[in-house]
Amino acid sequence: MVKEIERAGIPVVHVCTVVPISLTVGANRIVPAVAIPHPLGNPNLDAGEEKKVRRNLVMKALNALTTEVHGQTVFE
Amino acid sequence: MKLELGRIFIRDVAFGAETRVENGVLTVNQEELRKLILADERLVAVEFHIAKPGESVRIIPVKDVIEPRVKVEGPGGMFPGMIAKVDTVGSGRTHVLKGCAIVTTGKIVAFQEGIIDMTGPGAELTPFSQLLNIVVHATPREGLTQHEHEAALRFMGLKVAAHVGQAGKSVQPDEVITYETLPLLQQVAKYPNLPKVVYAYMLQSQGLMHDTYVYGVDVKKIIPTFIYPTEVFDGAITSGNCVSACDKNTTYHHQNSPVIEDLFERHGKDINFLGAIVTNENVYLADKERSSNMTAKLVEFLGADGAIVSEEGFGNPDTDLIMNCKKIEAKGIKTVLVTDEYAGRDGASQSLADADKAANAVVTAGNANETIVLPPMAKVIGYPEQANVIAGGWAGSLRPDGSIVAEIQVITGATNELGFNKLSARGI
Repeated sequence: MVKEIERAGIPVVHVCTVVPISLTVGANRIVPAVAIPHPLGNPNLDAGEEKKVRRNLVMKALNALTTEVHGQTVFE
Repeated sequence: MKLELGRIFIRDVAFGAETRVENGVLTVNQEELRKLILADERLVAVEFHIAKPGESVRIIPVKDVIEPRVKVEGPGGMFPGMIAKVDTVGSGRTHVLKGCAIVTTGKIVAFQEGIIDMTGPGAELTPFSQLLNIVVHATPREGLTQHEHEAALRFMGLKVAAHVGQAGKSVQPDEVITYETLPLLQQVAKYPNLPKVVYAYMLQSQGLMHDTYVYGVDVKKIIPTFIYPTEVFDGAITSGNCVSACDKNTTYHHQNSPVIEDLFERHGKDINFLGAIVTNENVYLADKERSSNMTAKLVEFLGADGAIVSEEGFGNPDTDLIMNCKKIEAKGIKTVLVTDEYAGRDGASQSLADADKAANAVVTAGNANETIVLPPMAKVIGYPEQANVIAGGWAGSLRPDGSIVAEIQVITGATNELGFNKLSARGI
């Protein structure tokens, strides 16, 4: 899906836990997620702390989306 | 470490007044087992069945399959750290009731995995159709958490297998095979001209219904470590997972690991089998990186020329497999990988979720997405409607006549990645 959307000319950020697979399939902008069963949150944290984690991930992804890249880039 | 494994061939199984083996016939006292099982207050009812090869019987869902074994000489007891004290096992002598197994079933947790058919096309795909199975069907108390529920059934299976195994303690085995691994420097010196091979044994550790235990430790909490291969034959590794059924190792698979048996078979002939490294398949990327770093480091530390790496499960563990492969190969050590495939129902899709050119020697245990029709059976032990919700099934998998149409993923052990099955594929 990442590759097809990019083929249509729209930049994509792939937020995913297993970065090596994202690299293998050819995503250009990669933001590492939390864990496979809960990529975009962390149920071990309280609600306030978790919201920070989630907001941070979204901001990182938006930042990646607006950053020029030359080849595959992981936004740690 | 040296272990004598005495195999007692079991020809028949029956319920009877006492639990014992006589002339190859195992009799089992149900009341003893009931008492043992219901001592766990998490379980409220239990029933027993015997399922024999060729009978028109389906067992669904299957939680675990366990071989009855007993320590006869040497330290420790069966399933150390779980139901026996946490002594180091793998030496001395162990007796095996060969040809029978304990199969646990009942409502499990969420998805209810695994089918064993004792006859028909499904039976061809599971090794457990060839065994005399003592099936234990337990009902848990209302209100248990999912984790308590899973643990109660898991411990039940181990306790029953250890109890039944006791029946073989003073029986003369039909054959005795000796396995031995020396301390590393002695082992290296013993066969100086043979290539040194290490086994990297990947264990599923992704959470509930996907967990494995080594000496009672939840494997997701370990960093990779060395073991003598014979420790595995004595129940040091036990299964807490059955999703998806086709490629998760039951406890029986571990007890009879074909990779370890085959490496021992060639030990001293064309290879020098140094030992095994157990590692995990966790859900955090940092864990995957740490564990594969450690595994590659230990393979190098042992001085191996080559490593066999077996996967358990599929999907993101494909990445653990490829990380292990790349990092071991980067040290100049050859690898052979053992996996299975999810290549779509027509077999045309990419087989693994990850890939690398270093993975240039791979053994496959078959394509789990292939579909099969399992005809109706005269007797069903368990809950056939689970066919509609298990991985590899779909709404409508259970048809009105009692037959099941599903992917072979639903069959316990169908594409087992220790090679304990008949499926494979070759490059052409």
